[in-house]
Amino acid sequence: MSNEDITSKGPGRAFMMANEAMVRGALEADVKLFAAYPGSPTSEILDAFAETGRQMDLVAEVSSNEKVALETAAGAAMAGLRSMTSMKSVGMNVACDSYFSLAYTGVKGGMVIAMADDPHAHSSQSEQDGRFFGPAAYVPMLEPSDPQEAKDMVKAAFDLSERHGVQVLVRTVTRVNHQSGIVELGELGRTPFKKVPWPHEPTRFITVADRARAFKAGMLGRTAALEKEFESSPFNRIRKDVVPGGKRFEGTGIVASSAGYNYAVEACRLMGLDLPILKLGTTFPLPRRLIFGFIEGLRRVIVVEELSPYLEQNIRALAKDVNPKLEIAGKGPGLFSEALEYNPNIVATVLGKVLGLPTPVDYAGVLERAKRLKEGLPNRPPTFCPGCPHRGTIHALRKALRGVKHVLATDIGCYSMAPLEPLRYGDTLLSMGASLGVAEGLRRSVEEPVVAMIGDSTFLHAGIPGLVNAVHQRADFKLVLLDNAVTAMTGQQHNPASPHEEDDAAQQRIDLDALVKGLGVADVTVIDPYQIKDTPGQIKEALARPGVGVIISRRDCALYGDRNKRRKGEKIVPNKVDKQVCKRAYTCVRDFHCPSISLDADRQASIDPALCDGCMKCAKLCPLGAIQSTQGSMAGRQEGSKGTGQQGTTGGA
Amino acid sequence: MSKNFSLMMAGVGGQGLVLLSNIIGTAGAIAGIRVITGEQHGLSQRSGSIQVHLRVGPDVRSPLIPVGSADAILSLEALETLRYIEYLKDGGVAVINKRVMHPVGETGELVNDKTRQYMGLEQVVERVGQVTNHVLTLDALEVARRAGNALTENVALLGAISVLEEFPVPPEPLKGAVARMVPKKAVEVNLKAFRLGAEAARDRFCKELACRGD
Repeated sequence: MSNEDITSKGPGRAFMMANEAMVRGALEADVKLFAAYPGSPTSEILDAFAETGRQMDLVAEVSSNEKVALETAAGAAMAGLRSMTSMKSVGMNVACDSYFSLAYTGVKGGMVIAMADDPHAHSSQSEQDGRFFGPAAYVPMLEPSDPQEAKDMVKAAFDLSERHGVQVLVRTVTRVNHQSGIVELGELGRTPFKKVPWPHEPTRFITVADRARAFKAGMLGRTAALEKEFESSPFNRIRKDVVPGGKRFEGTGIVASSAGYNYAVEACRLMGLDLPILKLGTTFPLPRRLIFGFIEGLRRVIVVEELSPYLEQNIRALAKDVNPKLEIAGKGPGLFSEALEYNPNIVATVLGKVLGLPTPVDYAGVLERAKRLKEGLPNRPPTFCPGCPHRGTIHALRKALRGVKHVLATDIGCYSMAPLEPLRYGDTLLSMGASLGVAEGLRRSVEEPVVAMIGDSTFLHAGIPGLVNAVHQRADFKLVLLDNAVTAMTGQQHNPASPHEEDDAAQQRIDLDALVKGLGVADVTVIDPYQIKDTPGQIKEALARPGVGVIISRRDCALYGDRNKRRKGEKIVPNKVDKQVCKRAYTCVRDFHCPSISLDADRQASIDPALCDGCMKCAKLCPLGAIQSTQGSMAGRQEGSKGTGQQGTTGGA
Repeated sequence: MSKNFSLMMAGVGGQGLVLLSNIIGTAGAIAGIRVITGEQHGLSQRSGSIQVHLRVGPDVRSPLIPVGSADAILSLEALETLRYIEYLKDGGVAVINKRVMHPVGETGELVNDKTRQYMGLEQVVERVGQVTNHVLTLDALEVARRAGNALTENVALLGAISVLEEFPVPPEPLKGAVARMVPKKAVEVNLKAFRLGAEAARDRFCKELACRGD
């Protein structure tokens, strides 16, 4: 994970994550500007660029949302500089308004958009298949399958973008982004950053009415030229050497791309199958002649792609002309699913079904036995960290509303975990900023009082228009604004309201309180979620007042706060339970659920000093005062401090 | 090296699992051994379940291990061994840290039901024993404390698994990668944890499994 490899002079080789390899590829292509909003599974691209921006002569911005990021990159590329942005699948939805128009105006400098889908919805609200953004906008799309390809494709994409005058989409999935491997690095030939004169060509970047119509004609020609180029792209290839000497099925071949390609190769090896594989790396526009050539002589083709039948439908349409009898095995009952991610055994199982062969391992049997062995195994979903301010805010909100039926519209962030086990608190969750719009609809429609909840970064990203609307509509719901100083969930990146650090003095901090008041909210209450005795009363009072009100719950993200403490050399002092005083009231467990608290052999609460953050919330909750700080009784944690940075050094929260 | 080797790694967010997989990968780069990993980031704050698929060898292509095919599983927390048990092949090696971290939901259920007990190490060992005879447990926290820092638990376990002859990345590049990947002031304590982990493992593991020479 060291940035040294990403910025090394090269050539050389390094073990890196595909996200880091993409940054390396962009640096090798002499990228000049990067702007992005964090989102899993792309956050490490931004993290690596932010780090690189401090060492190298390039602009690296954390934008307020993906649309702004894409537009920032577009501005630079219109001027003629090479630029890049990255975003997760649903971030593309936010950015796509400008993305579609930009495909019309095009760019002068190379521009690359790294967009990552999340099959299995590991850390997303949907399994959206973003490949349709390629054809829908007439934007060329490349799909790497491993870190080496990720680097090579990003590097090549800048050149492709410049030659065809259009942004290039590099589309990945989680299992590509978060795959690490050994990458051959090219030479890093950086040139100094230099501003360029604006070309001043009237209407060059204006798309409306007849300009749009003229651009459209150009886009069709561009797409045809791209297709021609992709016919001989090194990113597409027919492999006939996957299992030399393996079992052959004349007339059967595989078409695969992205992560699906990895699983297809491995499944052939598991099954000892020597099948030809057409590996597609340029998935829009598709190299139709190459595909024609591959399927022409086949009797049967197996299409291995996660999510929608994108390749399959295209192949089906192409086969109609060249090989109408071609049997196409793709999505369908007993074959591949459009849901969830694949793996080698899923692909091997389908190959076995199609070809009438047994799999080397009885996968269903293994899974069945594992299910039995896991009976009674407690779940361990991600949960609020020890010291997390959200735990305090949510505890107080529930206490303030105890006995009052209400509806909570929540939003995207760490607090999205509140509706999950064990807290199970929250009623609606859609997308960034949606809590406010949904709350407006709810307060018009439901009998119960309505509360919306949003984090600082999400509010600045897409929540502001919702609050403007609520004020304008004279709504009467309350917004709980969780201000933890950073974009916590994706790795504690800075957002526009984050406190300044030495190295970002060039940026102006947004004052959240002033912003909210400026939007017309008269009723603003600021609370400290660590003051768990006082907060329920403060919230109750705020909720009782009429009109739109905002309750700002302010306290640093615990991980971010710990990092700052470590930097300043401050110790984190854990709490302990006095076994003489604890009467097993379990106030520190119920509705609180801190990972550092469990029960000891006497079923009394016990605090793990290696996990406790010393936030004192549980101590304030305990009716008997059985929890105290170890301050004075011992010098911080047993190990002295968390100073080794051994934990969470990847920042991939 | 011609054989492929798959290692399933499991633990709890915050235990340093991703750092551990980076150390092995970097060691591979140092030694010229092909290593690929499928990591889990994103929602993996402290305290959530974490898995890393690690694969070594010339023919590996998928970052995910096929179920029933991992040569070994290495768990930084005992319960997490069971969560990913479907990946371990029959007769594979399970290296299990004795540490049990109770999930918050389980503690919540214990306070609501006075008869309920936590799931513990013994149950994990018994159940993993239904898949393989090679279940090796180690108190890595104790080893790490002896080394001088409880946070070196992950590297102590790496030292432990490195003694196995089957583990394809040799100790020297592993130590080289540890020195490169951990913060400078923690290099010494981590190398000590690696050494103590290896020593503890030799006493425990080498009776039943082939080990590397010292």
